[in-house]
Amino acid sequence: MVDPRLLPLDPHKLPPPSEWFAPDAERHLLDKPGFCPSCGASFDLGIVTEYWLADDRVFFSWCGSCSWTGNVIHVERAIIFEQEH
Amino acid sequence: MLTIEQNEELTQVGPGTPMGELLRRYWYPIAFEQDFDRKPSKTVRLLSEDWTLYKMPSGKYGIIGEHCPHRRASLTYGVVHEDGIRCGYHGWRFDVDGQCIEQPAEADNENFRNRVKAKAGVAETMGGMVWVYVGPSPAPKLPRFDVFVLDGVREVGYATLECNWLQIMENSVDPHHVEWLHGFYFNFLGQTQGFEAPKSFQKKHMKTAFDEFEWGIIKRRVLEGHSEADDDWAIGHPLVFPFYMRVGGQWIDQMQIRVPIDDTTTWKLFYTLHHPEAGVWEPQDRPVFYEFPYKDANGEFITDYVEGQDVMAWVSQGPIVDRSLEHLGRSDAGVAMLRKMFKENMRKVANGEDPIGTIREDHEVIHLPCERDKFGAGTAFTDQWITGGSMRYSPLKEELLHLHRTAAIARERAASGS
Repeated sequence: MVDPRLLPLDPHKLPPPSEWFAPDAERHLLDKPGFCPSCGASFDLGIVTEYWLADDRVFFSWCGSCSWTGNVIHVERAIIFEQEH
Repeated sequence: MLTIEQNEELTQVGPGTPMGELLRRYWYPIAFEQDFDRKPSKTVRLLSEDWTLYKMPSGKYGIIGEHCPHRRASLTYGVVHEDGIRCGYHGWRFDVDGQCIEQPAEADNENFRNRVKAKAGVAETMGGMVWVYVGPSPAPKLPRFDVFVLDGVREVGYATLECNWLQIMENSVDPHHVEWLHGFYFNFLGQTQGFEAPKSFQKKHMKTAFDEFEWGIIKRRVLEGHSEADDDWAIGHPLVFPFYMRVGGQWIDQMQIRVPIDDTTTWKLFYTLHHPEAGVWEPQDRPVFYEFPYKDANGEFITDYVEGQDVMAWVSQGPIVDRSLEHLGRSDAGVAMLRKMFKENMRKVANGEDPIGTIREDHEVIHLPCERDKFGAGTAFTDQWITGGSMRYSPLKEELLHLHRTAAIARERAASGS
């Protein structure tokens, strides 16, 4: 279980500890993008929706300040796919 | 996943909520014209508020908050006048804007009377339905989408579902569910219950895409054995923001309507226009309306038809699906795009701007893009849709099958020159 003091102040009410997803939910809230890569405003004004793409966690993000829209992908290893050659 | 707070923001439709304020910028169908053939007034619920919808002797309609501002009796049991409605309890009279214009038992005092104003909206008819707008003035124009105004045979299946409208809307940007819910699962039911499930829904999705456009989001798909030249990709079909989906194929054109009655109730309608090329039909005064069942006598979902399967999925998610427990995958990219569109338009409304889909110009008809050759199934699609969907409950089912079959034969004859 993540130390509650590490959780974001804003106001993320988590699923009950009895829910199987609860520990994972904490991690997802901790490392989702917080700020727009274009203007730097907080994503609290916009919306960030996470989905999975194989091993990647993709955060479909919209900035409520400058309207930047894009995917932010959480990367643990940089992988390069080579063209046929 | 969303936080619980984000989920609440996206699903609460009452007055004063961000989503409620956004949704109050649109027109909704809320009754049928024939509801007023015997009585001039009816209680309707929309966006978590109760309203009295009434028909004046001229044929025009008005809508006012149901409870009289005086002592809160229902105005639905009032007296309808040419210019408004009078409460049955003490005779207070209100004009079509909700302004109190008479208080019979009170001292004649303009100051008191002028201070009394009921919440009111505006109402119009289109396509056999009564549409209302209950947001701030000036009201936008009622959008005349093609299905509601073009000539053809119109029939409308409806049901009141015990779930939030947003989970139905998210289904509209979820193309993969067709292959599984209406394909694989339907086929499973057919195998175990002894019927043949429609083949056109069983094709694999090879590619899907979502494009924002002026009315919402266009959904595209390439199915196995098809290409980007096929209608399902080249044209696609749209989610029309914020509460419709337009679908169609082979001259069956349908608007799926999800009216947010309150946070946990949705009035779901399949408004369908049948107008096959080379078909012949009698003019209709009004569409045919019918309620389609989605639960059996035991309270279990009826899942042996397409829309019954959808209803099972939407309602079984719960009254308001807990999105803090969801696990989205890449096939849910359209869902993420739709949530962003809602959030973006909430901000527009908060900034005093018109949200997407607001129309302020007079117009005859709004044509929406929609594929004609659905799933590459050709004319077989019409039979499959009518017999395997909610239209199987339509009082016009046999006439519709006949209409499309004879039109198909006429087209074939014309094409062969015989």
